[in-house]
Amino acid sequence: MRPGRQLAFLGAIFVILGAIVWFGGKGGWQDRLEPRLGLDLVGGTRVTLEATTRDGNPPSREDLEQARQIIEDRVNARGVAEAEVVTEGDRNIVISVASVAKDALSDVGQASKLYFRKVITLTDGSGPAAAPASPTPGATTSPAASPAATSTPSPKASGTGGGAAAEPSATPTPAPTTSASPGATGEATRRLTEAELKAKVGAAAWDAGKGLTAVPTDAAVIETLKPFGNLAARYEVTSLPPEMQYYIPQITCEKLDRRVPGAIDKADEKAVACQGQTKFFLDVAKVAGTDIDKATPQIEQNTGQRVVSLTFQGDGQTKWTELTREAYGNTGDPKCDQAALGDQGKCLVAAVLDNKIVSAPEIQGVLTSTSQISGNFDAKSAQDLADALNFGALAVTFGEAESKAVTATLGEEYLQAGLLAAGIGMALVIVYSFFYYRLLGSVIFLSLVLSGLLTFGMLVFLGREMGFTLTLAGIAGFIVSLGVAADSFVIYFERLKDEIREGRSPRSAVQRAWIRARKTILTANAISLMAAVILYLFSSGPVAGFAFALGLATALDLLVVFLFRYPIMALFARTPAFLSPRISGLGRVLREAKETN
Amino acid sequence: MANFGNIANRLYRGEANLNIVGKRRLWFSVAGGVVAVSILALIIFGFKAGIEFSGGNEFQVPVKVGSLSQVEQVVTDAVHAVQPDAKIQTGQQIGDGTGAVYSVRTPTLSDTETTQVHNAIAEKFGLDPNDVIGSRVSASWGEQVSNQALLSLAIFLVAVTAYLSVRFEWRMAVAAVASLVFNLIATAAVYSIVGFEVSPATVIGFLTILGFALYDVVVVFDKVQENTRGITGKSNETYAEATNLALNQTFMRSINTSLVALLPVGGLLFIGAGLLGAGTLKDLGLVLFIGMGMAVYSSLFFATPFLVWLKEMEPAIANHTKRVLARRAAPRVAADTPAQKSPVGAPALAGATPKTGAKPVQAKSGGAAKGAAKPGVRPARPGGKRR
Repeated sequence: MRPGRQLAFLGAIFVILGAIVWFGGKGGWQDRLEPRLGLDLVGGTRVTLEATTRDGNPPSREDLEQARQIIEDRVNARGVAEAEVVTEGDRNIVISVASVAKDALSDVGQASKLYFRKVITLTDGSGPAAAPASPTPGATTSPAASPAATSTPSPKASGTGGGAAAEPSATPTPAPTTSASPGATGEATRRLTEAELKAKVGAAAWDAGKGLTAVPTDAAVIETLKPFGNLAARYEVTSLPPEMQYYIPQITCEKLDRRVPGAIDKADEKAVACQGQTKFFLDVAKVAGTDIDKATPQIEQNTGQRVVSLTFQGDGQTKWTELTREAYGNTGDPKCDQAALGDQGKCLVAAVLDNKIVSAPEIQGVLTSTSQISGNFDAKSAQDLADALNFGALAVTFGEAESKAVTATLGEEYLQAGLLAAGIGMALVIVYSFFYYRLLGSVIFLSLVLSGLLTFGMLVFLGREMGFTLTLAGIAGFIVSLGVAADSFVIYFERLKDEIREGRSPRSAVQRAWIRARKTILTANAISLMAAVILYLFSSGPVAGFAFALGLATALDLLVVFLFRYPIMALFARTPAFLSPRISGLGRVLREAKETN
Repeated sequence: MANFGNIANRLYRGEANLNIVGKRRLWFSVAGGVVAVSILALIIFGFKAGIEFSGGNEFQVPVKVGSLSQVEQVVTDAVHAVQPDAKIQTGQQIGDGTGAVYSVRTPTLSDTETTQVHNAIAEKFGLDPNDVIGSRVSASWGEQVSNQALLSLAIFLVAVTAYLSVRFEWRMAVAAVASLVFNLIATAAVYSIVGFEVSPATVIGFLTILGFALYDVVVVFDKVQENTRGITGKSNETYAEATNLALNQTFMRSINTSLVALLPVGGLLFIGAGLLGAGTLKDLGLVLFIGMGMAVYSSLFFATPFLVWLKEMEPAIANHTKRVLARRAAPRVAADTPAQKSPVGAPALAGATPKTGAKPVQAKSGGAAKGAAKPGVRPARPGGKRR
């Protein structure tokens, strides 16, 4: 019953929100007070992704559409509001978003094909061991050269189930961006045949490379293989058989990482991939990202490291158990090379995302349940990997993204028109309420102003923190919420009239009417909130954006109703003016009440 | 005029004695007719899906040819030459500097139409046809988005039914949701008849109606619940009469809330259609205006009569109604005097005004001059007529 307390609380909210808005921003007052506007009102960035395929042909229509949906999900998952994702022509996907940081969308086109492959063997991938000319036989690359890849024993050793073995290694890049350098002149744009490759490197080198069965240590052999060092990464290296990619030291990790996206996306082929400067020769993929039911970023309890926890679906769990059994007992064919065993003498299994290895832990048990991928993740990269796995792999791979600025789809005049409409709407509501409720109209007026300020502050704040953007439809939504906010006043004031007509004094009527109207208002707002929450949880894209705005508007309405309207009415009821029929808008009702009493 | 003023006055006090519930059959036939026409309209006219739903074509012209509005005009003319009623979207400039282009999206064109438009644009600007880039763009609002939206709509309906069942009772929940569905169908039909293009903005407008439509119904049902609490224990009014009274008492409130809510949307529609002539604001304004208008109608004239119909199937209420009517038929003479002031001149239906009739005695003293309009001396409502 202390109206002052509620008003003070509301004041505190205003001060805090105001401070956040003002001090959270940078630049002049205009920049600090600017909400983020949507693509339709102020324009933004347009990112074009071009599909690349192993054979250079455009992808099928269905594949492209499926990729569009996955990319849309990924973009939305980054909290970028109201992105528009369309396919253009037969191989492009165009993402338009309200202005975002340039690199924010650079890796949405990442194929995100995850495979688990047993590590058959590994070697140093930084190039020929020494200067190719000088024979240094001692410099054989061996696992010893890259101990980081496999060493640290995991605290949760052996045993079945529970956490997967997991130690991060060297320098994993969990979210590899395909940063091909298409600048190189004369680079092939499609896969080459063996004959073409042979012509490129010369018969001698080709035959030498073809015949390798181990990483060469003989300087003369290395010298013969030198022409392979001139192969372009993108398609030429990709076209080499995996054995040659592995054995030829001139095929460095630096090159392997730059292979065309999707270079090793065939599950039934052996593959070569790198982690940092360690080159791994990998078995065929026995478990794929599609076997994963859910990927969740987590912080591992014992080590405090970030991991991505996986649960499998369907027969994925069986496949995973089989793979870990094979690795644990080293029973598969081919067997893991002695050099590629971990500290405990067990095989490694690499999680290969696109062309790179995320992590290659030693398998320390036959794993029958949830497993984890570890790596040097930070919060964002762990989340990105989880998102990529959850939203599925792209059937199509995309080259480097090209982003350009775009102007508004609707244009400045729509923004002005929207604001003008909001202004007119507000003015009409206020005129109506003064006409109908006279002095009480000022309560409505003040409440609307407060609601407007709160909404605006929240828009600025959320735009900054969550990337919430205001579109034209959003403005319309807030215009509607103006009316709905005023509605709750009508409900209350009419109740108030009822109470006064029944002979209560204004002061007790304010109380009683409040208790009754509160129930109605809460019910009605609960429905709106329910609609907002359900739409937000189960929808995506513009519908989810709308739901967010609806929820925000409803919550702010409730806040103003409870913290402003009720206390201000309680204060009003104490003042004599409230009882004056001429100005309170309760005039006739009051007069009648007096007559009847 | 005076007469009108009088009605407004009585409306204002909730004393207009409009017999809404009694004319249930009328409202149900109106609603049935509206639904039938709506479904027919939806089948015949369907929706004109915007480019966001159906995909289309995109033409890119280098910025050196002039301004964006010029390009829009040329593209519009070129497209209208092959598809006279096609709606061209507002264009955008992509990139800046030398490589910048204007991009304009059109509805889907066939291959020959595309070539025609392509050449027409190039010719108009004196460009080499290769400088104009034409491509097919897909829908941005995929089926997935629609399916998810429909799913969440279904979940919402279930959840709101559950909530209202707990907050009120299941019959009220059913009546409220039925009125919501009626609302949505009718709004969709009007939109389909008017033939505006469906854009993401209009879908969102449509969803906005969800919450609002129920808001109105909740306000009315809240009063109904209050008026009919423990009604079976009393024998002076039937459920239908008490409900009708609640409707009358909230009538002005409903009109007021609707007016207040419709005013800003009216502003939106006015600005959208009047100032800008076309586009998102107009579409959105129309959807909201119709939807919210329908919401007011259905909360008063559909949801409440529907609720009474449901309630009267409940044995307890049915028996109570019979009892009240039987009792009323017997002591006819015992009716009190104010009955003579009844505007309709109906036979006295004693005590049908439980709420405001709280102080009838005092009211008499000062009330002679004011007559029937006074609270307390309010005559019985002719609600009994309905049988």
